[in-house]
Amino acid sequence: MARELLKGNEAVVKGAILAGCRAYYGYPITPASEIAEAAARWMPKVGGVFLQAESEIGAINMVYGAAASGVRVMTASSSPGISLKQEGLSYCAGAELPLVLVDVMRGGPGLGNIAPEQADYFQVVKGGGHGSYRLIVVAPNSVQEMCDLTMLAFELADTYRNPACVLTDGYIGQMMEPCSFPTPVTVLPNKPWAVGPGAERRDNLVSSIFLESDALEGHIHHMFRKYAECEKREVRYEEYKLDDAEHVVIGYGIVSRLLKSAVDMARAQGVKVGLLRPITLWPFPTERIRALAEKVENFLVAELSMGQMVEDVRLAVDGRRPVSFHGRVGGNVPTPDDLVQEILKLQGVTHG
Amino acid sequence: MSDNNSKTTAAQGPAYGDEGVGADGPGCAVGLKAADYKSGKRPVWCAGCGDYGVLNSIFNALAELQVDPDNLAVISGIGCSSRLPGYIKTYGFHGAHGRAVPVACGVKVANPALTVLTVGGDGDGFSIGGGHVSHACRRNIDITYIVMDNEIYGLTKGQISPTSPVGARAKSNPYGTVESPVNPMLLVLAYGGTFVARGYASQPKQLVQLLADGMRHKGLSFIHVLSPCVTFNKAAGYDFFKERVQDMPADHKTDDLMGAMRLAADESRFYTGLFYKSDRPEYTEGLRRSGRKLEAPPPVDIEAMIHQFS
Repeated sequence: MARELLKGNEAVVKGAILAGCRAYYGYPITPASEIAEAAARWMPKVGGVFLQAESEIGAINMVYGAAASGVRVMTASSSPGISLKQEGLSYCAGAELPLVLVDVMRGGPGLGNIAPEQADYFQVVKGGGHGSYRLIVVAPNSVQEMCDLTMLAFELADTYRNPACVLTDGYIGQMMEPCSFPTPVTVLPNKPWAVGPGAERRDNLVSSIFLESDALEGHIHHMFRKYAECEKREVRYEEYKLDDAEHVVIGYGIVSRLLKSAVDMARAQGVKVGLLRPITLWPFPTERIRALAEKVENFLVAELSMGQMVEDVRLAVDGRRPVSFHGRVGGNVPTPDDLVQEILKLQGVTHG
Repeated sequence: MSDNNSKTTAAQGPAYGDEGVGADGPGCAVGLKAADYKSGKRPVWCAGCGDYGVLNSIFNALAELQVDPDNLAVISGIGCSSRLPGYIKTYGFHGAHGRAVPVACGVKVANPALTVLTVGGDGDGFSIGGGHVSHACRRNIDITYIVMDNEIYGLTKGQISPTSPVGARAKSNPYGTVESPVNPMLLVLAYGGTFVARGYASQPKQLVQLLADGMRHKGLSFIHVLSPCVTFNKAAGYDFFKERVQDMPADHKTDDLMGAMRLAADESRFYTGLFYKSDRPEYTEGLRRSGRKLEAPPPVDIEAMIHQFS
């Protein structure tokens, strides 16, 4: 298996090409621009297309069109650009179109800065667009996973005919690590619903409009039956030293790597702590966290935000155990030492 | 907004019907020099960036008109050139990418006494924000819109822009772009801009005059400034523009729209100077004439109005 040293943002494009994606529409934004630039370099070499759109809104609607025509297609941006794409994402979800979106999160709100944050959890995982829909969300924590989970995102998007998002941050996007490349996907799913090609698809119409109340309700129920299947089958997470854990730390993306170090350091001081890392943020490992809540004393969630995923952890724990939170924002990250201090505080923290 | 200070009140109060304010009037402060408009913040631009020339010309134009900094707002979007409001000692607004023009329109319509400068780049104004420019032009809102065109995205470190020529190579187009550029001058002329001019960052004397005349003009003034990016667009540097920049033909009449369009369409050179000027009614004045008597609203019984259907 070939190994290469490359940026996380570049690994995304290699993964996309291996997954059979041959169309990329994007717009420059730091710290995600390398994804567009890598697509500009590599897509033409595999017979694919790259187009620098006039805006993020232009790009997501180009993706909307390409997805409707049945090809594997993607776009990428960073937080403010994702805000602009939300309308298009809602339409794509409503029209049941598979596509992959990559969000290399940076500091906000507003222009914020170009340093890493994880404050797009709400707008990506909980839905930033209008209406009842879900995005399937995967959260890599290494350059290798930027490749692997991008491939997975294409599979999940096609399986559930729904947009999927790779939610990552400026650290993972910009860092360089060795990456091994999986076998390319050679057989792509048939899409009889697509608008073309062929005479039998001539009547196909891609749309998200259902003017009758009952028709729209029926459509939304159909979407949520798919989502229920997805929640049953597709939850992914990583566990680290949870077997005898009395305390559980939870974090995704770059924070999970810091937490792993902190778990080792705290264990060296005799604290029985383990890590749960959600790999899919939706569907969320709710059941696993609920089960842990039956046997551990308490939880600590760490994020590069003022607290977003922590809400899903609290819903899963459902008041059974205390859930504390540690967040840094603005491009700052907690050090493993900071996190060890937070873990030490868990000792003796119980209800009441 | 909790910050309801006296400036807001002044702008909303006697402003309507009082046209002798801002760039069109005598100005409040006397004896301001170009340096008095400097904020003291050091620009982040690369050494040699054309935007320095534009900033200096703006200082000089403001001094020429003696614009009162208390009656001046400088609005921008996102991009290298959009950092400019931070460098002027006045009310600045660094907004969202591509949205400088609607923000400026919002400011001007609500506060017509203000002199409103809008600044940004070619990407901000003619890619992501392209849809807004036409509507500001057709409404003829009295803002001065300065586009610093370097034919590249500089802030994101070198991708093609809507004014990059066919074949331009950049990180997002390593094999050379196949897209044709937009022509900002032709667009604004067609959209109905009422003061349309082009300057060059390293011809400050002409640029100061164009900026001052643009600010004096009652209506939408568009000033396209060729402003080289020395870091990411070496293909369109000072040598490139030096060879192609040329003064407007002496016999061009500035009320000749078709003549202005012909000069704007000439791809062999960049004419500089005033292309077109018209006296089409300005928007905020039009609002007033349309029967919205904002200056002296009749007394209204708000209680009675609110409860008329209850």
